[in-house]
Amino acid sequence: MGTLIKQEIYKLTHKKGTWFAIGLMILVQVAFALMQHSNPKLYGLESLVNNDYLGGGIYLFIMIASAASIIAMEFQYGTIKQLLYRQYYRSQIFISKLIVLFMQLVVLQVIASLVSFMLTAIFSPNFDWMQKVGSNTFLHQYLVGILGNGLVNCLLLSVVILIATLLKTNAAAITSGFIGYFVSMAASGIILVLINKWHWLRFNPFTMLMTSSQLLTPSMSKVTLMSTPLMVSLTIGYAVLFTVIAYLSFRKRHV
Amino acid sequence: MSNLLSVQQLDIAFGKHQVLHQVSFDVAAGHIVALVGPNGAGKSTIMKAVLGLISIDHGHLTIDSHPVSMTSHEALKQVGALIEYPGIYPFLTGRQHLELFADKENREANIEQVIKALHMTDYIDHKAKLYSLGMKQKLGIAQALVDRPKLVILDEPMNGLDPEAVKQLRDYIRQLASEGTSFLISSHILSELEKLADDVLFLDQGHIIRQTSMAELVTSGGTSYHITTADDADAKSRLIALGLPVLTDDTDPEKIILLQKTPQTLNQALHTLLTANIEIVDIVKVQHDLEESFLDMVNHQQEVK
Repeated sequence: MGTLIKQEIYKLTHKKGTWFAIGLMILVQVAFALMQHSNPKLYGLESLVNNDYLGGGIYLFIMIASAASIIAMEFQYGTIKQLLYRQYYRSQIFISKLIVLFMQLVVLQVIASLVSFMLTAIFSPNFDWMQKVGSNTFLHQYLVGILGNGLVNCLLLSVVILIATLLKTNAAAITSGFIGYFVSMAASGIILVLINKWHWLRFNPFTMLMTSSQLLTPSMSKVTLMSTPLMVSLTIGYAVLFTVIAYLSFRKRHV
Repeated sequence: MSNLLSVQQLDIAFGKHQVLHQVSFDVAAGHIVALVGPNGAGKSTIMKAVLGLISIDHGHLTIDSHPVSMTSHEALKQVGALIEYPGIYPFLTGRQHLELFADKENREANIEQVIKALHMTDYIDHKAKLYSLGMKQKLGIAQALVDRPKLVILDEPMNGLDPEAVKQLRDYIRQLASEGTSFLISSHILSELEKLADDVLFLDQGHIIRQTSMAELVTSGGTSYHITTADDADAKSRLIALGLPVLTDDTDPEKIILLQKTPQTLNQALHTLLTANIEIVDIVKVQHDLEESFLDMVNHQQEVK
């Protein structure tokens, strides 16, 4: 398994796109920090810091592209046979790819956070990370936000991986991932209305895309009709379910 | 000599379509075995089954006495392969491909050796997306060989290679075989296989129709006689009635092509024709190469059916 993980990391780090995407994410963060600094009324500093100066959104796009291509590219480039005919099993190959994706998710979040801390220190040296927000500190809320976003991102990426195992090309999988993301974001308002009408609908996977928001604002449970621990559990449960279906699909793919 | 690869009673069906029927053969250590057959005969399916890429319905596959299946891959540690076409990551260089898949042990030395043997030095550090078909093919072969596996499976390895590259590959395969590596190779370029292989497996519609050594094929089974008589139709029917192996040329159905199955075949045929007072006009001996033997065999199978 260690060898497979090293091979996946080797491929990831030798793609120019990986480094270009990180550069773009940092560039966007710096650009928004500069805009906020030159015109403080344009964006609220707290909101920008909470969103890693928009780095969080960019890194999710990077992860959608990575998740879509990590399996689809093996079929597109015809390299899947080289992976499968060796002493490894499909389950090991699939899990090694998931592990590398998770590592990439963590690394990107760490970079986004570090850049946010640095930009805040440079352009807003008086920013108080320990200021009170409700009953907690800003830093506490920031970290809870990261945790919530991480959970929701895992759910989204599990769907992207599922689509990618069903499709044969990178481009199709990435496009499906992006479209899925925008549709699900746009649908959240509609879902709340529908949940209000038919309560059983609260268990649908789209509701779990609001887990991050509910972690930061627990009172949202009144509209999602679920406790926060239940939402967190269902988010993890759906992510695992979609990943298992993706694996079963990957296992059955002809090579 | 011990068998490195053993395939016994292999049956594979895709849905209701039976692709392989009771296929059995062995590959001895240090031997080069050619898998020959028309398109759709089942060559790639055998190779995929040996590599644990597809499930089998019946039979046993072992490499170095260890079983291989979709759920038992341990023995594949000793195998290198190129199946159908080379898988290439366009964003990596040739050398990076080799680094990616090479084992830790003697990595650098093995990589340098295969690059040199296949004459890839000039472009090995270029991105693979810039490679021609032949360069990609060489890289695919290099990936199969880089770890010096005990068994190498190559499906159409000469595809896209120029004559010089074909010779370089042939020499390298011969060298590795002399050092103990076993090869299972399929190719449509039969003249190349003839120069390369020790043993030949003829495959048609999922059946192994003949299994022989290349030397035996060329010296015995590879001879036929084209006989011309005053009455070819009558002569041919008499020979067939006697049970002699007479082949049919689709372009000239009356033409008598007698396959020499035993040293007595020609004697028997001539005796039959002379006894029947059929005038023999001409006899041409044709020493068959692999290609002709293959065509004869496939034609004979069609006649039997």
